[in-house]
Amino acid sequence: MDQEGVQSFLIVFSIIAFCLALTVILLFAIFQNRKNKLLRLQQETESKFKEELIETQIEIREETLRNISWELHDNIGQLLTLAKIQLNEADEACLNVSEASETLSHCLKELRNLSKLINPDTFTSLTLIEALQLEIERFNRMKYLKTSLQFNEETFALNTKVEIIIFRMLQEFFTNTIKHSKATELAVWVQYNANTLEIVAKDNGIGFDNSNLSKGIGLSNIKNRAKIIGATATIESQKGEGTQFYLTYINNVS
Amino acid sequence: MSLTFLSYIPLVLELTTAIIALVMFKKYKFSNEKYFLYFLWYTFLIEIVGLILGEVILVNNFGVYNTFTITSMLFYFYWYYSILKKPEFKKTVIIFSVIFSIVAFLSLCFESWKVYHSYTFVTGAIFLVVLTLFHFYQLLNSNEVLIVKYKLSFWISTALLLFYVGMIPLFFLMQYTGIVGISYQIILLSLNVILYGCYTTGFLWTKKEYNRF
Repeated sequence: MDQEGVQSFLIVFSIIAFCLALTVILLFAIFQNRKNKLLRLQQETESKFKEELIETQIEIREETLRNISWELHDNIGQLLTLAKIQLNEADEACLNVSEASETLSHCLKELRNLSKLINPDTFTSLTLIEALQLEIERFNRMKYLKTSLQFNEETFALNTKVEIIIFRMLQEFFTNTIKHSKATELAVWVQYNANTLEIVAKDNGIGFDNSNLSKGIGLSNIKNRAKIIGATATIESQKGEGTQFYLTYINNVS
Repeated sequence: MSLTFLSYIPLVLELTTAIIALVMFKKYKFSNEKYFLYFLWYTFLIEIVGLILGEVILVNNFGVYNTFTITSMLFYFYWYYSILKKPEFKKTVIIFSVIFSIVAFLSLCFESWKVYHSYTFVTGAIFLVVLTLFHFYQLLNSNEVLIVKYKLSFWISTALLLFYVGMIPLFFLMQYTGIVGISYQIILLSLNVILYGCYTTGFLWTKKEYNRF
């Protein structure tokens, strides 16, 4: 090669080397940047999920305590008072003593039920369906509402954390029904499909105007929770027509 | 003498890559990348035929290389068509293929078969660079960016991008500086080392579970 040939070779070579180096650096920088951003985002989502989970667990605990206080006051307290009255009247007729003992045994049964409900281990080892059954039994026993639960047998294992959040969403809906809707009946359907879980809950209460939906904190809370576990929740209602709650959760088993 | 020696090196590179691709085939046989195994052997075959025609029988072998340019570009376009997901991208691949085919056809009609069809090559190369960028855009906007070094398609795109980002300026500069012979061979060889180096890295690093789209 002559001098000129070497010169032009060096020029061409360096231009091409520069192009390649620039491409590699750019590619690396962009991919690394994007990767870090995505990792950060994943961490954020995860910590948000954890926070929400803790909050949910606290709420469930509070709700349980509230229920216990009601039961003690309305159910067991009443029964004990009745037994006391019956015993006070024991002088008048011996018959009342056996009545009082019956009341007391009834009272004991209720207490046992209650202690089963309080035990914190119970809830963590329950499946969603079992937890719902307990909740619904309680409604029926306390005569708040006439409640029914229907579900199909083919269940699939859900993440416990997801189950807790779903249960809390339903509990929130039930509380709203009892407090505000003046409903007399509540029906719940739980349907496990191949990899989706569908839950429908309906009451026959007074309902509310759908346009006021955004104002209810409890209801918007339900929607936020659904978003966090990647489920879709819709609440439909019309004045005088009752309220319906629909939840669809897709189980991603990867 | 040294010139002939240099032109054997790409042949060795191609053969090595094709053999590695064959050995690692089970890692990517369920993906769209599986056709690259056949493509690499096809490349090797073309190179051998070209070499035999040029060095042994001593006839003009540009016809072989022109055929290879056209078929390889169409193969790359087809591959990108199957892996790009956005409808706009797929449509662009079709438009690129049509324009490229027209250019290639015109070159076949109006240019001598005994010269290298540079219009065909440059059109294809520019389109291909755009398609690799589309593919990177798709990877960047999916969760796959986290495991990108285990994806064979990422390595193939990197190889193609680097090779053609080098080839396009080389092609244009050739017209102005009259760079020929051994200098051209050295640069071409360097680019080939990068191309097959990326392929080989991809075949060796890729993991089976990440090659199912």
